[in-house]
Amino acid sequence: MLMAARTVCQMLQRRLASSAAAACLSSAELCSHRSALFSKEQVRQRSLYPRTEKIEVTLQGPGLQGTLLVMNRGLSTPYSCTRHLTEWHVKSSALALVDGQPWHMHRPLTHSCDLTLLTFKDDDPQIANQAYWRSCAALLGHVLDRAFKDEFSVELLKLPEVPVTAGAFCCDLVLDSRLDSWTPTEENVRSLTRDALQLIHKDLPWEPLEVSATVALEIFSHSRCKQEEVEERAAQSQNGTVSLYRCGDHVTVSGGPLVARTGLCSQYEVTSVHKVGECEWGVLRRAQGLSLPLNLTVRTSDICTDCERKLIFTMGYSAI
Amino acid sequence: MTALTCRFIKLADGLLRGAPVTVCRAGAALQSRAPVIQCIRTHRTNTWWDEHLTEDNPWPRHEWVEGSRRVGLVAVKLGMMPVWTKSGERHVVTMLQVQDCHVVKHLSKEEYEGHTAALIVGGKNVSPFHRPEGYLEVFRNAGVPPKQKLTTFCVSDNAIIKPGTPLYAAHFRPGQYVDVTAKTIGKGFQGVMKRWGFKGQPASHGQTKTHRRPGSLGPGGDPAKVFKGKKMPGRMGNIYDTTHGLKVWRVNTKYNILYVNGSVPGHRNCLVKVRDSILPTRLENNKNPPFPTFFADGDEEIPEDLYDQDMFQFGEPMAE
Repeated sequence: MLMAARTVCQMLQRRLASSAAAACLSSAELCSHRSALFSKEQVRQRSLYPRTEKIEVTLQGPGLQGTLLVMNRGLSTPYSCTRHLTEWHVKSSALALVDGQPWHMHRPLTHSCDLTLLTFKDDDPQIANQAYWRSCAALLGHVLDRAFKDEFSVELLKLPEVPVTAGAFCCDLVLDSRLDSWTPTEENVRSLTRDALQLIHKDLPWEPLEVSATVALEIFSHSRCKQEEVEERAAQSQNGTVSLYRCGDHVTVSGGPLVARTGLCSQYEVTSVHKVGECEWGVLRRAQGLSLPLNLTVRTSDICTDCERKLIFTMGYSAI
Repeated sequence: MTALTCRFIKLADGLLRGAPVTVCRAGAALQSRAPVIQCIRTHRTNTWWDEHLTEDNPWPRHEWVEGSRRVGLVAVKLGMMPVWTKSGERHVVTMLQVQDCHVVKHLSKEEYEGHTAALIVGGKNVSPFHRPEGYLEVFRNAGVPPKQKLTTFCVSDNAIIKPGTPLYAAHFRPGQYVDVTAKTIGKGFQGVMKRWGFKGQPASHGQTKTHRRPGSLGPGGDPAKVFKGKKMPGRMGNIYDTTHGLKVWRVNTKYNILYVNGSVPGHRNCLVKVRDSILPTRLENNKNPPFPTFFADGDEEIPEDLYDQDMFQFGEPMAE
């Protein structure tokens, strides 16, 4: 009788322990797990083109009209096209337009097309600016994911699509319930800025991947709200795929293309972190930031003023 | 460079009683535990993920005690203007504006190889281009934009400030005495009358070709040499010089301007180093300053302009 009780006790302990271990993977392990699955999917997609087939890419744009490049299907990216041109093109192109559609610089080209390279100094930089804003928000998400100690869980929600004219980009997150009463001080916001600047200095490229909803759900298997976001985006997209972007170790979902690499941001500052309200996951917080790209720096002392520190736009952009 | 930090991790009651499994170690879920305050001394290395937001502020703010030395500022010399006292005397003041002053690095006593700890402070943002990589690295670790001038201040251990903290003009209050150090205006190669203040020789009454010469170089046959350090013509100026014991008449907190008595070495728009005076007769005026510095996120509200009590403000009734 005693033995049975003891074995039951041990089994309970082991089961509770295993569920404990699974429920609480440290954030570093979570990141590496997601990154490994991402790499696996990337390798699988690359293996869909076993034989090298050639495609013809016509370049459009000032000074480049009609230049024909012969590239490889499924392997060459707009970035490799720029490497055939000049170093200035490599450094300054932020985004590409393939047949008029925004296309990430590191995404492989699949068919013969017209390619336009976008920089921040074009006559109409609208698309590039929007992609830049989205990338800054993704970078903020990356920084916030890593900023907290392993025992506190951080859930990043869907990145709100904010127009550049709003004045700041933002990232919604829900922290562990133990941190409900924590308000970030100026020093905490400054250390977030410092982390972001270190990431920018590393100049990591954003690697895009179009995956089906099932693969995305598997990658984000530990995070309930990420899975919901994946399902929502898959429902909205035309062919049920979700675009994932990986920067370093951190995998994120995005609604539109991001810029080529983190090094394109130069002045980056996290302005504030506000509590917005309650949502189904817990206390919703919004982190805001301000940034300028490398070619368009401003010679002011402090790029954020008091008005940007205030919480801007509550309705309409929230993910909830 | 490593620094020792002290992290306070307080596991409060609310975390453990009845909360979902929050423990990452197998088998520990069934143990009961009382709230525990752990204090872990860790090595904070230069890797960017070590400083987590949930750690308590390891840079506590102490109170001012007799004999403690606090940090100074880097300011820009704007120009000079007159002030009047309540009794009608006219004095001149120099305006020093504190532009983007940040603490950039902290050197402990052992690192600084001195008897006190040191803080490196930078002033006035500049562009990161045209600067060597090693120079920019210091700023990247602190999370501040690169600065034009870096100075070191010896501080006592209770006055250390976290790197990245901004410093404002309200660090000094009217009635305090400061020392200002700056590089003097370069005069080039100058003669002995201008450089050392020699009297020279008369202009007329038979002087042959001798009007501004040094004259004798020392005693005659006994040493039969010119002593080392003899004042002679040479390059004058462009060296660091300190003016001691300058009274602060007024502090403008909106534009961060200090109004210090008298003149200050250096040309207009040059960067100067301002610190609390070390003159023994002025020590009572420097009691109870904002310690370790004036923090903008603190609770105290200070008016836009702070005047010294002896200073006449325009619009006041005058005592005839």
